[in-house]
Amino acid sequence: MLTSANILFGIAFLGQIFLISYYFPQKILARMDYVRTSFPRSQYPRLYPKPAEYYVVGRWAFKLATRIILALGFVILFSIIFLIDHATFADDGFISEAFPAAYGVIQFLPLMALEISEFSQFRLMRKAHVATTRTAELRRRGLFNFISPTLLGMTLAMYFGAVLLDLYAHQFEIAWGHDTVQRTMVLTITNLLLAAVGAWILYGKKLSPHQTANDRIKYIKTSLHSFFYVSMAVSVFWMTQAADDIYDLDFLDATIMSVYFQLLILLSIGHNLRNMRLEDIDFDLYKERPAT
Amino acid sequence: MQIVINIDHPEPLFSQLMEQIKQAVQTGRLSPGDPLPSIRQLANDLEVNSKTVAKAYRLLERDSVVQTKGYRGTFVHPDAKANSTIDLNAWVMNKLRETIAEFRESGVTDSEIRIAFGNVINERSN
Repeated sequence: MLTSANILFGIAFLGQIFLISYYFPQKILARMDYVRTSFPRSQYPRLYPKPAEYYVVGRWAFKLATRIILALGFVILFSIIFLIDHATFADDGFISEAFPAAYGVIQFLPLMALEISEFSQFRLMRKAHVATTRTAELRRRGLFNFISPTLLGMTLAMYFGAVLLDLYAHQFEIAWGHDTVQRTMVLTITNLLLAAVGAWILYGKKLSPHQTANDRIKYIKTSLHSFFYVSMAVSVFWMTQAADDIYDLDFLDATIMSVYFQLLILLSIGHNLRNMRLEDIDFDLYKERPAT
Repeated sequence: MQIVINIDHPEPLFSQLMEQIKQAVQTGRLSPGDPLPSIRQLANDLEVNSKTVAKAYRLLERDSVVQTKGYRGTFVHPDAKANSTIDLNAWVMNKLRETIAEFRESGVTDSEIRIAFGNVINERSN
């Protein structure tokens, strides 16, 4: 049924389908092709720790998965707008936010698989790297070398703002099992996870054994910024949930969820793709070095 | 600045680390008050055991080349440049050479020196 709320959701959901299952996958595929043609296996053997077929099949599987999910998105959108009776499906009679949320999780699966494959390749690179000399920068890496105190302050303020707004929306009732406690726990756990991964990137071992000091600094800076932006997006999302309870905005639930997923990909993969330009990465270190 | 260690070199890793930090101080690449990487960061970057880095830092602190300021981390000592020129290893070797030469002149055998040296070291550790 075409109502103004449904049209609004339709526009948001179309954006979600396009952004996560077409726009960014296309960008990633273009990067894969650029690396394969500009830095071929014959000249940059260290860049390809797995057999040649792995990359061909991997690219094909990623493209196929994203295309299937893209088609699935249109089927879901059509069903939501024209086939599903939301009055019987959801208690409030509006489009359930479970649709964009579940579809968003499915959309992220190929991207997560790609990330896991990347980690496994870096592991193989490290295994194959048998240099007897090891180098390190004699410079301390601290959080504030990469992000500004203002950004940290803003992120913390957003976190506490989200918790306080939720408390306010529920008349400062704190009881185990209550929405506010659950939301605060989810928000806190999400931030702790981001902090743990951030600390690992900042102080841990470098993923690629061939990465230069400058490339590593750029990678850390980009990743940390992305994490802080994602943390703020999560806080904003929980603020909208609290506002939803205050102003009774149930008809916007699904639209907000869809926009939230788009925000997440823009601030994570989008931010990283924009800031970690392939042209700026030193690929010469992936060439075969002459035996000494 | 970069630090380079060679895991196949006969010189122990902690000693290579100490030497390079001292050299960096002497050449002015590290100045008094400069922060040094945390033990965990340097150990991860060099892919060595954190005990190796901790030992190098501990010995550098003993030599007053670096100073640890609690949770704030490790920094280059204000007198690091002067203290980096003192090579404790060389000093110990010279002292031992002099002492052993004196013993030999007095007719003490090498095996007696070894036993006595071992006993003295054990007295200290006991």
